[in-house]
Amino acid sequence: MADALRSAGGTVGAGALLTHVAPPVASPFGTASHVEGECILAIDVRGSAPPPEAVAFLDGIQRYAVEGRFGLVPVVRGYAAAAVLEREGAKLGVARAHQEEFLVVARSRLTPDQEAALEDVDLPIVECDVAERSHPILDVQLAAKEVERRREVVEAELAAAHIEEAPGSWLVVDGSLGGIGALEDGARVVGLVKSHETQFLEGADLEVALTLPEGHRTSVFARSAGARGRVFSFYLRLWPWQEHDLLHGLVRIERPPSEAAVAEATEVSRWLLAERAPLSAPDGRWDRLIYPIRQVETFLRAQAGGWW
Amino acid sequence: MIRLGGGSTIGRVVATEALPAGPHQFHFWTAIDTPIGIGAIVRVDAGNGRTVYAVVVDGRAYSDLATPLHEVVAAEGDPAGDRAPTRRTEIRLWTAAVLRHEPDEPIQPVPLAEVLLATEQDVEAALRMDGYLRGEQPTGIPVGVYRAGGLSAPVYLDADFLLGPESAHLNISGVSGLATKTSAVEFLLSSIFQRLPSHKGSVAALCFNVKGPDLCFLDQPAELTEADEELYSVMGLAPRPFEKVRYFAPYKADGVNLNTLRSNADLVGDVQPLVWGLREVLDYHEVLLNRDDIDAKADAFLDFLADRVVDKQFRDEWGNTHRVGSFAELQLLFKAIFDGLEAAGRGDSWRTHHIATIRKVRNRLLNISTRCKGLVTDDGTVSDLPFGQFEDRSVYMLDVAGMDQLGQDLVFTRVVTKLREHLERGDLGVDHVVVFVDELNKYAPADGPDTYVRKMLLDISERGRYLGLVLFAAQQFRSQVHRRVVGNAGTLVFGRMDMDELAMPSYQVLSPATKIKLATLPKGDLMVRHPHFTQPIFVRFPRPAVLQGPAGVKRFPPAVDVPFEEAVVRQLTAMDKRIPPARIRDCIAGRREDDVRRALLATARTRPDDVEGYFTASLGPGVRREAAGRDQDATTPLRSVEDPYAT
Repeated sequence: MADALRSAGGTVGAGALLTHVAPPVASPFGTASHVEGECILAIDVRGSAPPPEAVAFLDGIQRYAVEGRFGLVPVVRGYAAAAVLEREGAKLGVARAHQEEFLVVARSRLTPDQEAALEDVDLPIVECDVAERSHPILDVQLAAKEVERRREVVEAELAAAHIEEAPGSWLVVDGSLGGIGALEDGARVVGLVKSHETQFLEGADLEVALTLPEGHRTSVFARSAGARGRVFSFYLRLWPWQEHDLLHGLVRIERPPSEAAVAEATEVSRWLLAERAPLSAPDGRWDRLIYPIRQVETFLRAQAGGWW
Repeated sequence: MIRLGGGSTIGRVVATEALPAGPHQFHFWTAIDTPIGIGAIVRVDAGNGRTVYAVVVDGRAYSDLATPLHEVVAAEGDPAGDRAPTRRTEIRLWTAAVLRHEPDEPIQPVPLAEVLLATEQDVEAALRMDGYLRGEQPTGIPVGVYRAGGLSAPVYLDADFLLGPESAHLNISGVSGLATKTSAVEFLLSSIFQRLPSHKGSVAALCFNVKGPDLCFLDQPAELTEADEELYSVMGLAPRPFEKVRYFAPYKADGVNLNTLRSNADLVGDVQPLVWGLREVLDYHEVLLNRDDIDAKADAFLDFLADRVVDKQFRDEWGNTHRVGSFAELQLLFKAIFDGLEAAGRGDSWRTHHIATIRKVRNRLLNISTRCKGLVTDDGTVSDLPFGQFEDRSVYMLDVAGMDQLGQDLVFTRVVTKLREHLERGDLGVDHVVVFVDELNKYAPADGPDTYVRKMLLDISERGRYLGLVLFAAQQFRSQVHRRVVGNAGTLVFGRMDMDELAMPSYQVLSPATKIKLATLPKGDLMVRHPHFTQPIFVRFPRPAVLQGPAGVKRFPPAVDVPFEEAVVRQLTAMDKRIPPARIRDCIAGRREDDVRRALLATARTRPDDVEGYFTASLGPGVRREAAGRDQDATTPLRSVEDPYAT
């Protein structure tokens, strides 16, 4: 099989065994426009370089559990936490962290007695959306979305606090900048996107991006970002994808739009390449998950260890 | 490095199913740059009135690295590649062995609580020292200073368990060449002398110097560093040399030059000759005579001599009266027996003892004064230790370093036996005597023949504590010493150890980390095991405030051996510098050497105020020396009876 693929110009993958159909992609496509050049190019960043001295890493986690129901209405207990770990020398230390616990429930479907009973629990109650009709799974999903939103809020608050208190420091955020809230153009904030569910490029541009050689980045493009307008972005290949799959070792970097974001794209790429060590294995996402972000996750999981 | 004081929180107890916390051992983590290490004492407060004290016995560090291969991948196979910008998360996980639970009952697993660095009070409680440092009759003897995390706390031994009667004896092991063993004993003796409370009675020390100049300068001060003085200060001890030291050494074979490295003219005046005669030796003939050679018949004849002849009026069958008090007089007795038998034509036995047995004993006994020349004299002159007049806080140093093994065995056996006899009678002069013996593996080896010396050491080890006879012994390898001798030592002290020795079964109770620490222990650090300490404890002791052997030899170079006349002059002028050497030379001119020796010995033993007068009086009126005088006493070989033992 491998020979057959190679003989016709194909590439050989890892051949990982799968058993389930992947869940449908919520937003498979987005829109983008070229910023750096007229088309997407693969740019050799010429190896790694030491990261800036002042750099911090932000991540958040969420937990939720269906504590019970009033009739069909689920009562969900949610937990959201985020932390910023700052690197001093080579050591990560907690710069700021926040965690909160709350109830998520469709208040409009509760009786006054039920609502009063929940208020006695001494946890903030967060209203969640409701579907047209009651649905035991969909109602929980809607509550979970609210937990996720709370996590994004916590992350955004910590990011804002960090940017304000350490304006010269770089902040690497796990995931898209979409949820981080308002950021000044040119802010030293980097979004590190590991999942590639939404594709903003298409055609030859997409092929260049997804087949980037190791140590290369794409030219910078702007993607649509809802209310924020647009975010500058580029792909970066951390590890060679040959013998794996297209997305192996591929991350997408996001920056608030500015000329600096374009000028700094190679520099940012080079120090993100340096972040490949230490390896974040045995985490299954080790090819895209840089170690400091994993450490933020580890810290948050340890903090949430007793939560249930 | 974090600098913390005692009582600071340094870690937290962790327990998993695979690594649980038990009543005797638990694990805790600390910051990477924690100040603690192996041997640190910690405290865990359960918060419900329960407190656990423990000592760190092992430590581990590891990161979240799942496999070394991940490091290879990250470094792209290049170990010299760029350093990772982030250091992996590491853990310092320590294992601690419990020293004490408070309250003692019920004994429960250690609570999963904060771990605190021990304070001075915690060290006292952890080592159960509070039981003998407080109260109306404290018995603490400082042995060193416990140091960890910036804390320096004195560690005390319990005199009841060091000098008896509860337990006794101290054994110290360590590799040679680091001056730890002897220094530790010197320091500890000083500590005992300074701190043994009056209610424990009086104490003296008797040290056998078996090699080099180690113990030759106990009365001379040493230069100490500030660090040493600080250690003395922490323990509340004065850094000073021993105030009362008496030195004893045998003569060399010439019978006049002392066989010691403390022979410098400024010091030799303090050295008293150690000289024994027939009586002193005969009771310990077992030490000197080979058991394969001396059978029951010879034993019976020796007993006959000891009981009926020596120091008694003895009349033989031929009308001669003998009073045997020296080897020379014994020689005359034998001559009389052989001459009498030959004259009577009875060559087979005398008083039921076969002539061959008598010849064998004669040859063996008379040979002793030759083999131990310098210690044993032919003429019965004696200069001995002041048994019965031992003084409190005094050191009696016997320098036997220049003697051969046989002589050392004889000195050791006789001296210790005499100490035991006097202690049993309660008339030694002190209540406790610490006997320090180095190279214990030579005297009480784990294997080899069951010698008289070893039997005696076993006896001291097992019964000495009731008498106040305490053995402080040192050796390089504890495993090479008889188990019962080591096993009876209540206090065990270890300096730097050899890894091969630590691999022996007797060290299995120590953790691998403790063994490594022992194998790399710096000079001045010791590991101490004591009945009150449930785990070994590391302490640091200061250099003893006495001049060490090599430095002493440098400051007081030993005198070279000189001819007889000069040796006499040197010793007398060392006792009294006012005596003109020329007058001594005039005094001894033309006198028999044996007479001069006897007078010199009497003077050295008595230490009179008027040295010259005493010496002259001891020498007696001059007698003209006759050319044949010396030969008249010599035994004429018996030509009529073949002597098969004359070799």
